[in-house]
Amino acid sequence: MRIYLELARLAFQQQFAYRAAALAGLFTNSIFGALLASVYVGLYSSQADGASVGGFTVAQTVTYVWIGQSLIAPVYLWGWWEIIQSIRTGAVVTDMLRPTNYFTYWLSRDAGRAAAHTLLRLIPTLLVGALLFDLVYPDSPARGLGFIASLPLAVLVSFCFRFMTNLWGFWILDHRGIAGFSMVAIGVLSGHLLPISWYPDPIRDAINLLPFRAIVMTPVEIWLGQVSIAEGLALQVFWSVVMIAAAQALQSVAERKVVVQGG
Amino acid sequence: MLRNELAVTLRIMGIRWRGQMAYRASFWMQVVSNFIINTAEVLALFAMFYRFDDLGGWTLAEVAFLHGISMITFSIADTIVVGLNAVPNQIRMGEFDRVLIRPMSSWLQSVVSEVSLRHLGQFSQGLIVFIYAVSNLSIEWSLAKVGVVAMMVIVGFALFSALFTVEAILSFWTVNGVEAVNAFTYGGSTLARFPLHVLERWMRFLFLWMVPVGFVSYYPTLYVLGKEDPLGNPAWFMFLGPLFVLLFCLLIAWGWGQAIRRYRSTGS
Amino acid sequence: MTDTMISAQKLIKTFPIKKHHAGALGALRGLVDRTPDEQFTAVDNISFEIERGEMVGYIGPNGAGKSTTIKMLTGILVPSSGEATVAGITPWENRKQLARQIGVVFGQRTQLWWDLALIDSLDLLRHMYQVPEKRFRENLDHARELLDLDDFLRTPVRQLSLGQRMRGDLAAALLHDPPILYLDEPTIGLDIVAKARMREFLSALNRDRQVTILLTTHDLADIEHLCKRIIVIDHGQVMYDGGLDALRGRFGGKRHITVDFEQEPDDAIMTLHNGQISVVERTGPRVRIAFDRTAITAPELLARAGRYGSVRDMSIEEPQIEEVIRQMYEGARV
Repeated sequence: MRIYLELARLAFQQQFAYRAAALAGLFTNSIFGALLASVYVGLYSSQADGASVGGFTVAQTVTYVWIGQSLIAPVYLWGWWEIIQSIRTGAVVTDMLRPTNYFTYWLSRDAGRAAAHTLLRLIPTLLVGALLFDLVYPDSPARGLGFIASLPLAVLVSFCFRFMTNLWGFWILDHRGIAGFSMVAIGVLSGHLLPISWYPDPIRDAINLLPFRAIVMTPVEIWLGQVSIAEGLALQVFWSVVMIAAAQALQSVAERKVVVQGG
Repeated sequence: MLRNELAVTLRIMGIRWRGQMAYRASFWMQVVSNFIINTAEVLALFAMFYRFDDLGGWTLAEVAFLHGISMITFSIADTIVVGLNAVPNQIRMGEFDRVLIRPMSSWLQSVVSEVSLRHLGQFSQGLIVFIYAVSNLSIEWSLAKVGVVAMMVIVGFALFSALFTVEAILSFWTVNGVEAVNAFTYGGSTLARFPLHVLERWMRFLFLWMVPVGFVSYYPTLYVLGKEDPLGNPAWFMFLGPLFVLLFCLLIAWGWGQAIRRYRSTGS
Repeated sequence: MTDTMISAQKLIKTFPIKKHHAGALGALRGLVDRTPDEQFTAVDNISFEIERGEMVGYIGPNGAGKSTTIKMLTGILVPSSGEATVAGITPWENRKQLARQIGVVFGQRTQLWWDLALIDSLDLLRHMYQVPEKRFRENLDHARELLDLDDFLRTPVRQLSLGQRMRGDLAAALLHDPPILYLDEPTIGLDIVAKARMREFLSALNRDRQVTILLTTHDLADIEHLCKRIIVIDHGQVMYDGGLDALRGRFGGKRHITVDFEQEPDDAIMTLHNGQISVVERTGPRVRIAFDRTAITAPELLARAGRYGSVRDMSIEEPQIEEVIRQMYEGARV
């Protein structure tokens, strides 16, 4: 147990060395946040005042945009390929031979990183959004806490997804095909690209059956009061359990492959 | 001299393109993958207009027009000057010295150090979206309007190339935080997909007068579509695009010279 | 009538040493710190002249300032002060013009395009340097013959062995008939055969085509085979500029021989000690002896050592350049 905490702590500290990168990321998130929020405000201008589209008023949509931008870093929505890189360099073999559980090893490091990113990216991004736009805030302290609780769960589900997509690198030589597809998939299915309720009904219903909404959409819904705190967190817990099980299953298959083929 | 350098540039690019296309399977996979990555924004566009009637008075087809132009221009720039992305690494690995030994512009050499044909994925998607837009709009085409469209593409290409160069220039001084330029390249390309008048005032200011992205597509598009500018600016604003982009490019060219000067003064 | 191809006059190059500030507070302090950076002088007042057709060795230990000097003479680096003229051109002021007059081979980095075949690289360079088709053919054929390029002409450069790549780089550097050739550690990492071949090629080039060659190296053997004149630099300054033999005679006297006996030799071996011979180390059956080669030859010394035990094996070390320079310092002090 100690080793995992240690790994998390190290990963946490490591992020603070990349201060300039954090600032650059914050800047980029802010520009995109402002851009998208403006576009949505423009979309609503043709609607009646206070109108609600797919369960979102204009203020809620603007808030959704900024929560979405602030989540990108902690949840590492796009571009995490560390395991694939370790397969390339061959470091994966030593990683797997460690006396730690491979999944938990990577999870601890991701948890540390996510905690750092929450401080370095999530909070500052929300602050910028609050400064530039009129946001909607959680209507009770309990809801605020509920949002905070939803964050580690969102990271967990996201991590499992990233872990599994990376493990495909054991079977597929060129990961760039998966990379493109998974980037689009996670952007759409997590609810980051657009609120899921905005898609045509059949698509919306299908997406809601998938685990990925737990990464972005559910935290947003908890914040905005669109779902009860208990329901939101329960959904995330449910999907966390399912995804962890799936990840562990895929891991044993991968481990067997490494053992048999020697990487 | 310059003519020869450009000829050599084209020659190198040709060799690299052929080289990339030689690995057929990998090449097509990358193009398809790039195509898929860029569908996200197009999907969002259609989904948005599924729920909303218009965007600040602009219809789906009109916004799609902007999307198409933006994707086409950005992907061309991304394909051709992608070599600039390799500069920070070259400096770090000590491979930039050899650039200074050759009788050719250091910028041109950097540009052709790589080509990336996969952005043809984004290009083809942009083309599809553009064709969709044009076929759903009743544009009164004229030679002038065709010229304006061509101008948008050329000017946009120049601007994005200059922005890519900014990132390379900064890397001569530091490797930290250079990614902030992405806010202007990717941010700029995203911004160009939407009509400017819906944006907050400070964003308009930033992307018109500081980094002239807005001038590249918005005003010329108003002209082509025959729309009025809700901001009340005169029609000749569309010619500010080429002017400002030219000034911007000159500024960046000066910046590159400064970066090289610094490299030759401090060694790395 | 002098035909000076390379002229360095009081070249000085200093680099600011970046101050390192640790931690977040340190970084803030670094922002407001206005005290001037410390300067590191890499090249400290170097002057020399090289005539057409000379082949000069430019040697010194690591960090002596060799690469920095070459970079200034090729236009890569701008000096802090001083002047230089290469083929009548000031290198850092007319980089592109100079590029046509020089060929450069960096031992550790290739000039060729990594992912292209060697022949494609050469062809590209032909266009870049605007070499007429006929001349290109001639030079290419000449290089193919002398450097044995045919085996790997169509191989991508990244797949070439070090030796092959060096040969390719040489061919590339000479394609446009530059009157001046700079070689920075050209034999580093090569095996003995490849080194010998390269040295042969360079000798012929200098002899037959009067190409002026400035060669920096760590390897004294390169110098011995190729250069009549050497410039020794250390700590950014010229320590010696003259003939190789004279240098050898003055400073390169000491060699080392390591003798492995069957068993530990007789203690009396210590009596070998005199003004020109010293037993440097003794570990069990292994004895390391330093000796002045002008006073006694290796075989003679071996014979004498053999009196103290049965010799199983021996090896001779050439004086390393650092050793030569160290002795130069000692000589200077005296």
